[in-house]
Amino acid sequence: MNPELFRTLRSPYLWIGLVAVALLPLALPNYYLHIATLTLVYIALASSWNIVGGIAGQLSLAHSLFVGTGGMLASALLLKMGVNMWAGMAIAAAVSAALGAAIAWLDFRFRLGHLTFALITLAFAEMAEIVVIGWEFLGGASGLFLPKDTGQFTQFQFGGVQGSFWIMLTLAVIAIGVNLVVLNAPLGYYLRSIRDNENAAQAIGVGLLGNKIKAMVISAVLTSIIGTAYARYLTFADPYLLASPVLTIEIVLFATVGGLGRAFGPALGALLLVPLGEVLRGKLGGVLPGLHYFIYGATVIAVIMLSPRGLLPVLQSWFTGKSAKPANSAPAKSH
Amino acid sequence: MDELFQALAQGLLIGSTYGLLALGMGLIYSVSGIVNFSHGDFVSLGMYLCFALFSALALDPYVSLAVTLPAMLIIGAVVCRYLIAPVAEAHSLMVVQLTLGISLALQNLILMVFGGQPHRVPSVVEAKLVMIGNVVMRMPHVVAFVASLALATALFIVLRSTDVGRAIRAVHQNARAAALMGIDVGRVKIGTFAVGIGLLAIAGALLAPGTPIMPSMGLRYTVITLLALVLGGMTNFLGIMVAGVIIGVSEAMGMIYLSDTLGMILPYAVFVLIVLFRPEGILGQSRG
Repeated sequence: MNPELFRTLRSPYLWIGLVAVALLPLALPNYYLHIATLTLVYIALASSWNIVGGIAGQLSLAHSLFVGTGGMLASALLLKMGVNMWAGMAIAAAVSAALGAAIAWLDFRFRLGHLTFALITLAFAEMAEIVVIGWEFLGGASGLFLPKDTGQFTQFQFGGVQGSFWIMLTLAVIAIGVNLVVLNAPLGYYLRSIRDNENAAQAIGVGLLGNKIKAMVISAVLTSIIGTAYARYLTFADPYLLASPVLTIEIVLFATVGGLGRAFGPALGALLLVPLGEVLRGKLGGVLPGLHYFIYGATVIAVIMLSPRGLLPVLQSWFTGKSAKPANSAPAKSH
Repeated sequence: MDELFQALAQGLLIGSTYGLLALGMGLIYSVSGIVNFSHGDFVSLGMYLCFALFSALALDPYVSLAVTLPAMLIIGAVVCRYLIAPVAEAHSLMVVQLTLGISLALQNLILMVFGGQPHRVPSVVEAKLVMIGNVVMRMPHVVAFVASLALATALFIVLRSTDVGRAIRAVHQNARAAALMGIDVGRVKIGTFAVGIGLLAIAGALLAPGTPIMPSMGLRYTVITLLALVLGGMTNFLGIMVAGVIIGVSEAMGMIYLSDTLGMILPYAVFVLIVLFRPEGILGQSRG
């Protein structure tokens, strides 16, 4: 096992923190538990996006496609065809993997470049939202209501707020864990070399297509599974939430605020912003709708201006008293 | 047959305004290499400024341009000088995230100020129709078409044969060489950004009559702009105008001939096809 990965896994703080978080449902009232669960959803989503957007440096704006597939397709399969939601989750994940591979292939085949890749993935996401809203099978504009959560595990039901919290915690831990593994595996080094200089990476024998597809497929499958669990948690598969490009923009902004390309960076961004946004929405949503989004936007602008590598390096330097080493950091610049 | 001409006419009229939107973004991209993901939200800002002036002073959107155009020019210059320029210098890849952040902040600022319900900005010409043969065209669309063409032509002339235009083209071709020739590159970049946003004030006024406005529409305008920009080949201004018309026509065709969903997807499908077969843009030189 890679020594750096081993050191992270051996850290007692990590395990104490994890146990403390896992015990939260016993202490928190339902409203705050809901916020904690949402935070975990976004931690998981931002961490999954990080594999493509942070480590591989491919600014994908198509991830609402995968969340939407996971949420809407699995729900539709259950309601319209009676497919067990676990199977639905697997089918949706396979579809997402195929879509992700196709996008990565397009990127490679046409050598899109960072900006064009962002543009084209945004166009895909917008197209996907139109498809979902217009296609009756996927619930159309009115969405899909899932049956009440009675806690039957075999039916992909987890028993209300507490059970969902633990499921989301599991998914968030898996997403961060995959980040850790990828970062410390050869794949992570290939992806970072591609991010920093595609031509140089290719020149030293790093395959572009295979690695880009791997990153995108890993990210798409994780995102899709989280999408299914998110729809189940909400008991309402809402196309305007799950398939909307705005969801991707949120994820990208959380990841950027926390720190792109680091295992814990995107989680940090979501951990700081989602509870803040949700509490504000609860308190002021009636008077000032959109305030939480405004704050997300303003925060990311401030973070990019003041600390473009995100908040994680800043926190690390506070704790260790020295500046963080740049090994896993996002590229400082590229011209 | 009438249906076909109707779709063509409507697409041409609307598409020219899309072309104008994309021209603003293309101008910014060609000089600074920045793709502005908050472009559409600045369009909605322009339209909401029209709405504010209409509610307060009952101004016609075309008249309120006298206020909104300078306002948007200043906003564009300030945003570029204090937000985009510092980041673009040091971390060019972060500009995408930055403009996404601006998009989210701006859209929701509009939502907080004006509320989420759709508004309308009427104009005196709104109800007027123009008939050519059996083809009916709405007056605001005709005005938008004429104004977009006039503006695009004016822009071409400025770029081609004035010193300002030469400075812009010089920075586009080679910023370092332009700086050595005594061009203030920073000022050119801020200037073109301001003009690109200023164009949106005009586009907003042209689009406003007859279009219900909502804070959430910004992203859609951004995407339409991006489609036209990529189709046109990013820096080919004539290509961008043509691409805007292609998007507009395919949208109109889709609305008339296909079901709702398929119709809305048609512009995207046309876009994906053209980009796959001509990645350099419709009027671009083949890379061989």
